[in-house]
Amino acid sequence: MASYRARLAKYVILQLAGAIVIVFWLIPLYAMLIDGFKTNFEATVTSVFQPPVRPTLSAYIAVWNSMKRPLINSLIVVVPVTLLSGILGTMGAYFFYVLGEKHPIVGNTGFSVISLATFLPVESAFLPLYLFEYSSHMVNTYWGLMFAYLLFYIPTAALLMSIFMPVVPRYLIEAARIDEADHWTIFWKVVFPLIVPGFLSTLIFVFVMSWNNFFLPLILTTTPSMRMVPVEERYFTGGYGTLYNETYAAAVLASIVPLAVFIVLGRYFIRGLAALGGGAKGV
Amino acid sequence: MKESRGKETKVKTKEGKGIGRSYIQLGLMALPTFFFSAFLIYIVAWNLWLSTLNWSLLHSKPSFVGFGTYAAVFKDLFFKVSIYHSTIFSLGLVAIGDAVGLLLAGLLYYLPNTQRAVYLSIFLYPIAISMATNGLIWDWLFNPELGFGWLTSHMGLPRLNPLATATSTTLSMFLVEFWAYTGLAVLFYLASFMSVDKSIVEAARIDGASGFKILFRILVPNSMNGFIVATALLFLFSFRMFSLPFVIGGGPTNLDLMTLVEYVYYRFYTEFFSESAAASTIITAIAAAVIIPYAVYGIRKWVMRG
Repeated sequence: MASYRARLAKYVILQLAGAIVIVFWLIPLYAMLIDGFKTNFEATVTSVFQPPVRPTLSAYIAVWNSMKRPLINSLIVVVPVTLLSGILGTMGAYFFYVLGEKHPIVGNTGFSVISLATFLPVESAFLPLYLFEYSSHMVNTYWGLMFAYLLFYIPTAALLMSIFMPVVPRYLIEAARIDEADHWTIFWKVVFPLIVPGFLSTLIFVFVMSWNNFFLPLILTTTPSMRMVPVEERYFTGGYGTLYNETYAAAVLASIVPLAVFIVLGRYFIRGLAALGGGAKGV
Repeated sequence: MKESRGKETKVKTKEGKGIGRSYIQLGLMALPTFFFSAFLIYIVAWNLWLSTLNWSLLHSKPSFVGFGTYAAVFKDLFFKVSIYHSTIFSLGLVAIGDAVGLLLAGLLYYLPNTQRAVYLSIFLYPIAISMATNGLIWDWLFNPELGFGWLTSHMGLPRLNPLATATSTTLSMFLVEFWAYTGLAVLFYLASFMSVDKSIVEAARIDGASGFKILFRILVPNSMNGFIVATALLFLFSFRMFSLPFVIGGGPTNLDLMTLVEYVYYRFYTEFFSESAAASTIITAIAAAVIIPYAVYGIRKWVMRG
């Protein structure tokens, strides 16, 4: 009986500790979700923790005009970048996987380079990138943005897919080679069907990271019509005379796409993150 | 005899051509990855070259000055402040994020599967939102009249004003960073804990070991993988932090929050291009010092096992 009570007490403490931490983690999400529904008057007299008395969409309507164009811009740039990075990066990973065993130096060098490209802060090489794009008339263009994103996200996709690739047994590739299949056929018919879950994780990871990228669109776009979502958001801080209901409405509009992806396909996103740290095994 | 030799040579030539074609095909498939990786290395090298010039608003026709620009950067007050903040934010996150991440992963380990998955998603959702958005959200939470200040005054405590002083601003920034990135440490530690042989944990439990004992005597000692990766990634994510201090600080010039990456942008913005390039090179060198061991570890551990 005493041992049962002790176990119950431990369980209650465990759940309580978990609940406290979770509440802290959810406070910003709670504020973001409820405060966008307040009127301007409520936003000046109530705290960010109090729910709206009469929920209204007026703040969303007010910010929609500013956010509409950046949302379209982000979709135009991020969707093709994600697909291209995913497919081209996977092909790069296949190259390292096939050659890595016979020529370890190729695999090691390649993996080091794509790791460096993945984790190198975007900001650390932006001056030459800006000069290159400026001289090529790519600043303030979708092509310029896409090029810059691909520069950083193809290596990221190649890194993630290099980690996912070992789920394909090497003997399958060797058997297909003996049957005289070329690498293009092996890649699409043998390898790709086996790495679809890893590929999805990579796509979602690249999509979320590129959607949220703040720095590249900040330096590569100067006209308001080319602004992307994260850059547009900075104009909704209190410093620009905005009330918090509009700030939070803009935050919801900016986050709705990545949050929806996270909620619906979260396990793939988490697998992508986990792969960066634990190989394809993940959690 | 001669005929058979001729045939052998023919077969070999055919095989040789096949192998050659196979390498060409492989090379073509990896061409975009090579191109973009090589271009990235090229612009990093270009950046290094720019950092050895004295190109700025004052010197529109730049000349080679070697390490002269670096010397100027190291003397710059803004650089000193930014490197101080980047060090505080990065090392602080590594120390506290690692420790709290480990404890939270321990907590999740003992929870039922479904609850564990939900809690893990909650710890990770800040990473799915842009740091600029996170900055906006927290900026209002820090408001003394409408945010945490309102909450503390209603609890009968002094009104909290997290952005009132330089120290409290830095600490508030650290809190946001901690909230945003600790989920990563939780994920990597949990992944390591889950890969520990369940039978060992069960045996310890049967022997009457407490949850804490199992955590610190069995799970943690077997989680070197989680520790290395969580430390490397927490450092890299916090070291490259830009949009969070940019949004909370209202731009790149807030001296209470300026990070190294913000300094790079600030110097570019004020047209001290070579100083910006020099600071970028310093960031690249520090990041590479962490990334290369991570990559070598990753190759051995994950890629070459296939």
